[in-house]
Amino acid sequence: MEYVSPEGLRLDGRRPLEMRQINAEIGVVVKADGSAVFEMGNTKVIAAVYGPREVQNRSQQLSDQALVRCEYSMANFSTGDRLRRPKGDRRSSEISLVIRQTMEACILTHLMPRSQIDIYVQVLQADGGTRSACINAATLALADAGIPMRDLITSCSAGYLVNTPLLDLNYVEDSAGGPDLTVGILAKMDKVTLLQMDAKLPMHIFEKVMQVAMEGCRAVAQYIREVLLENTKELEYRRGL
Amino acid sequence: MMGLSLGEKNYIKGGIADDLRCDGRRRLDYRSIAIDTGVIPQANGSARVRMGSTDVIASVKAELGKPSSYRHDCGKVSIFVDCSPTAAPMFEGRGGDELSTELSVALERCLLGGKSGSGAGIDLSSLKIVEGKMCWDLYIDGLVISSDGNLLDALGIAIKAALSNTGIPKVEAMPGTSAEEEPEIDISDDEFTRLDSSKVPIIVTLTKVGRHYVVDATIEEESQMSSAVSMSVNRQGDVCGLTKRGGAGLDPSIIIDMVSVAKHLSQQLIATVDSEIYAAEARESSA
Repeated sequence: MEYVSPEGLRLDGRRPLEMRQINAEIGVVVKADGSAVFEMGNTKVIAAVYGPREVQNRSQQLSDQALVRCEYSMANFSTGDRLRRPKGDRRSSEISLVIRQTMEACILTHLMPRSQIDIYVQVLQADGGTRSACINAATLALADAGIPMRDLITSCSAGYLVNTPLLDLNYVEDSAGGPDLTVGILAKMDKVTLLQMDAKLPMHIFEKVMQVAMEGCRAVAQYIREVLLENTKELEYRRGL
Repeated sequence: MMGLSLGEKNYIKGGIADDLRCDGRRRLDYRSIAIDTGVIPQANGSARVRMGSTDVIASVKAELGKPSSYRHDCGKVSIFVDCSPTAAPMFEGRGGDELSTELSVALERCLLGGKSGSGAGIDLSSLKIVEGKMCWDLYIDGLVISSDGNLLDALGIAIKAALSNTGIPKVEAMPGTSAEEEPEIDISDDEFTRLDSSKVPIIVTLTKVGRHYVVDATIEEESQMSSAVSMSVNRQGDVCGLTKRGGAGLDPSIIIDMVSVAKHLSQQLIATVDSEIYAAEARESSA
């Protein structure tokens, strides 16, 4: 399969450094304190945030900061072949852990001691880059819930096939067997909070691919800022300001 | 869901007794229903239904399978509902399993008919490919994204919309294989037959609060219910399935009355749902 054609086009017609179309919407789940839908190409993810609220399990309560919990689940119909176990498998547990650690680093938990913040992420369609879409959706949902954060966390994936760094892999490119790098950054401070990669890469190529991924993260951060600004203007208008 | 105070409970019960519910509806009024079809491109058919704050997605996937030993000429259908924790924190981990199972079984009872296959909403013999050897297995998956009461009705509508949106690929079986061999088939990539969903029933749930019944209860109203009757009715007005939920006992005459009220409401609901599905399909094909 020709992942990058001689003219420099990928399987879905994108250029190597081109991201998929992103689309985000806030406030989808009315009952939640904050929620958002985030789409990166065909990958579609809903995040809902409940909190800060009273800790359900007293033994886990922290006296000086908020407890952040996260659950990642995939819908039965999200992948090409129907999934039998929507949650509880190892991959879901690992991604839940990753999202929790990433978001916990940026939430100002010391402002909300003895409380609990729950982040639930549901994948509706999986087409590569689900981890990144989940983190982006969680950032938006936390912002919608009004939970104080240090910075926006955005994430993007990148890979290396046919001697070309590729930004934002879809499922087919991800399964090609090349390296798959996921990066999460604190947008304004430009610091890396999440870094995961599988397969192997020579060091100088790794640096290139990481730079590509970070550029992708910055582009997502730009879009997320626009969406939040739009949302705030809408809220101001509704309040008659 | 937050607990309700005594004042709030009395307000809900009093409103229902006076035929004026919290959101201004009358007892037998439905919330406005918004349907979108084709929301999951990877599935053979899909639909998303929003009734107030209740938001559910249904998807239909067709896979090749073997017919069961006592029904050679029919395909198989199974329904599975998942309650996402985005709808409520209590659905986290295994918390949503009880509700998911209750909804899945109720939907199977309403839509798939009895064990012998009689009374099924979907014509299972249309899913046959090679008699006794190969058939289509339909997997209907429901996902509850946001819950504000009346999940069973919303899922019923979503499944009906998803089934009407479903396209089964055309299959050609190669002739001339012997009885023991696996038949060779050719699955078309771009020719689809639409599934006939005209016989699929929809579900109407009547919730009894105090001495009156309401239709399309919100989650606060459901918390005040003594019992509920869910009935599935098809376009011809035949009752296809019945479930009584809740612990309180009901006088048999009240159940008969609820059944006739539900039948009457279902005709309007079916008309509304059919027109919404038609509009959704038109939007999808023009998009």
